[in-house]
Order: sequence, then structure tokens, then C-alpha cells
Amino acid sequence: MSEMQMVGDSFRLGYRAQRHWDGAMAGAFFCGELGAGLFLAAMVLEVVPGMLLGLLLTGVGKPILHFAHLGAPGKSWRAILRPDRSWTSRGLIAIVVFCGAGLLHTVNAATGDVIPFDRAWQVLAGAAALVVLTYQGFAMSHSTAIALWSTAMMPIAGLLYGLAGGVIVSLLLRSGAAGPLLMVAQGLLLAVGVMLFCLLYAAQHGSPGGRLSAELLFRGRYARWFHGVVVAVGLVLPTLAFWLGGGGPINLAIAAAGVLAGFLAFRILVFKAGVYEPVMDFSALLGDSGKAIP
Amino acid sequence: MTTWAMVFDLKRCIGCNACVVACKMENALPEDVFFTRTFVIEVGAFPEVRRVYIPTLCNQCQDAPCETACPSGATESRADGIVMVDQDKCIGCSACAVACPYDNRSQLTQEALDGSYFGPGQQAAFELTRGERWQAGTVTKCDFCSRRVDAGQEPACVASCPTDARIFGDRDDPDSAPSRLIRQRNGRPPMPEKNTRPNVFYVD
Repeated sequence: MSEMQMVGDSFRLGYRAQRHWDGAMAGAFFCGELGAGLFLAAMVLEVVPGMLLGLLLTGVGKPILHFAHLGAPGKSWRAILRPDRSWTSRGLIAIVVFCGAGLLHTVNAATGDVIPFDRAWQVLAGAAALVVLTYQGFAMSHSTAIALWSTAMMPIAGLLYGLAGGVIVSLLLRSGAAGPLLMVAQGLLLAVGVMLFCLLYAAQHGSPGGRLSAELLFRGRYARWFHGVVVAVGLVLPTLAFWLGGGGPINLAIAAAGVLAGFLAFRILVFKAGVYEPVMDFSALLGDSGKAIP
Repeated sequence: MTTWAMVFDLKRCIGCNACVVACKMENALPEDVFFTRTFVIEVGAFPEVRRVYIPTLCNQCQDAPCETACPSGATESRADGIVMVDQDKCIGCSACAVACPYDNRSQLTQEALDGSYFGPGQQAAFELTRGERWQAGTVTKCDFCSRRVDAGQEPACVASCPTDARIFGDRDDPDSAPSRLIRQRNGRPPMPEKNTRPNVFYVD
């Protein structure tokens, strides 16, 4: 398998890079998952600024980036119409519920139960946050078009990255972390590492398109960014910061910056490394001998 | 019932791209937007080298992943199997484009719709019809020239093919040309492993 088989937008038969979802879409995914993860972590740790920041990321940052991507943003309300079949519609409903219930619970957390039924809003916001964390991964894994995406690892990636980022940013906003919380943060980083390994392993041992995507990330044109930002800055740096310096504010700031950079790079690279496979299997053309069809 | 289908005879296709040009004109498509393409690949080793041409278009899948992914209800299948995109409903999210295993969807930008093959402000008559058919920002694709089919005509690419490499007809009719070809020459759909049940087949 070689990168030479990528044919761009020409009339050659070969692998084509995914080009429909761009950086704005990656940013929207990042904001949605980080916001939901941050809200969940801040809710558990009772960090009101974190809850508010999570709501802003998901309720404001994500829609702005989606509008930047949409071809016809004036009709964007229509995206809610098919929850019976589309993960995008289901996710949009979850975002609306998350922002509504989350805001009510955040107001209560900040002011002391001025709005009735706080427990219901809290449970509703938490459940919707879990859907927001995973629905984008389900939307990607649901399709078999792009082999790298067509894996159960996709929703798990959103969940783990969102929670890891959310926990570390919440701890930073709390200005410090004690032993058990630090262990949770490190455990989530370890889980992200395992998820990345499983994602690449599944791609490498899957269809030819998956192998090409794994090669692009591991040895090809995106390897520098994958190894440098996703792995070194996004996983190794935060882990070292925790190991060597503990849970002080400076270490947490370094860890948070690293994890968020790695998370955003992961989202962008997964879009860029996605490839469409050729419409016709090469082996069918080449025959068993690898020579011309007689 | 009628289920429209197309068969590509790879032995007949000569890669002239008349179908591509006819499609461009029929649908007033801007530059870099194609509803049909004829892919080419060289196979073999010297001196036994040959070029193989592989025509493609939207496969009008019976289990269309683009339809399942569409959050706005813009993509819907007709009773005759043609997968349509309602421009008024499309929000341009491209969920359908990343769901299509065949990469057969294109987004129409305002810049592309305003453009011309003959230079700025020099749009030909067929290019001027774009405004009536397409909305900027929406995602679109081949619909087997549904307007022509509904009027009893063949799709433009089929009508223009000089070698009859594209065969169009009713797959539900066992005596139709596509049905016979699929049966007699073991017609196979593109990428059957994707489980989309295409209404397009290849014979060689």
C-alpha cells in the first residue's frame, strides 16, 4: 500500500482523500465534545465556571463553527427533522436538551436552587451530555464509506477525549488536584492512548482504505503531526507533567494545553486521513497473476 | 413496479468521456463538479499493458447510506429507485457526502455556479440555466436524469454513449436489456461489501 495511490480529484482510479468535512467541522466536533465533557466533569466536581464554559463551548462555539461549514446555514433548523434515521438529528436534539437543562442546573448551582426540579435538570443535562460526547462518533462510525471512521472506536474516542479534556480543565479551574482526582486524569489519558492504539490497529488490519489511512497517520504525510501533536504533546507531555510535578496549577495548565492541542489535532487528522476506496477492486482488474487482463 | 438500473459494459467503454460532457451540458454543471466520471487505470506490465476505463455515477442504492445520514430529509428515494436530493431541504452539511462509499456527491458553491468555462461574464446558454436548477451551498448528485426519464427519454450519458457501453432500463422487467446483461454476464455491483444494494452493475 502506498501513498502514491492517492489520486486527488483526477479521473484516475485510486484512493481519494475525504474533503467534504473540513477544519471548521473538526473544530465543531472538538467544541461539542470538550464542552460536554467539561460540563460533566465540572458538574461532578462542582466547578460552576467549568459548567458555564462547557455550555458556552457546546451551545455557542460548536454552532458557530457548524454555520461556518454549512452550505446553506439559513436552513440549518431542518437538521433536527430526521432523528428516526440520522445521528446528526439525534445529536442536535441532545444539544438543545443539554444546553437548556444544563443552563437551568448551572443557574441553580451558582445561586442556590432558585429554579425548581433541580435534580431533574441535572440528570437530564448529564444524560444529554453523554449523547453529545458520543453522537458525532456514531455519525462517523455508522457509515462504511471511510474505513478509518467505520469503527466502534469513534464514539469511544469522543467520549474519552471529551472527558479527559473536561476533567483536566475542571481541575485547572479548581486551581489544583488531590491524589484521587489526579489518578482519574491520568487514567483517562491512559485510556485515550489505548483508544488511539486500537483505532490504528483496527485500521491497519481492516480494509485497504483503512490501511492507507493508518499509514498516512503513522508514516505518511500526517505522521509528523500525529506523532508530534497527538501523541507527544497530547499524551506524553500531560502525563510527564503529572508524574514529575503533581497536580499544581502550572502543571495542570501545561497538561490542559497539551491535551486540548492533542484533541484538536486528532479531530483534524482523522478527517484528513479518511480516504474513499476505489470503486473497483484493484485485484479484480489485475487478476491473480498481477498482470494484464487477457 | 419499475426499478431503474444501469449496466456498464467495460468491454465496450473506450474512455471517450462523451458521457461526461453530455452530463455536464444536461445538468449545467459548473467546473469541477461531475455527476459521472470515467476512471482510468493502466494494468499489467510491459509489454502486456492495457488501459481499463471504469465509468461511475451515483449508484441509486436501494439501501442508500446518504439517505440514512441526511438529517434534513433532503435525500429521499423514489418508488422507482432513483435517489433524489430536494434542493429546498438540503442544508449543505455534507453528511451524505461522507456517507457515500462511492464519493459521488458534490457541493455547489456560489463561486462555482457563477463561473463559466468561457471566462468571467461569458456564460453560455446552458450555463445560464444553473440558477433555475441549483441552489448555492447545497450538495447534489446524479439522479439518472430523472427529468428525462420521466419524459420517457434515456439519461443523457446513455443517449450520448457512442459504443452503447451504458445500458439503461427497468430492472424489474426480466426481459429488459439491463436484466438480461446482469443475468447472462454475471453483472456485479460496485463495492458489494458496503451492503448498499446499488442499482448500477458492471459486466466485463
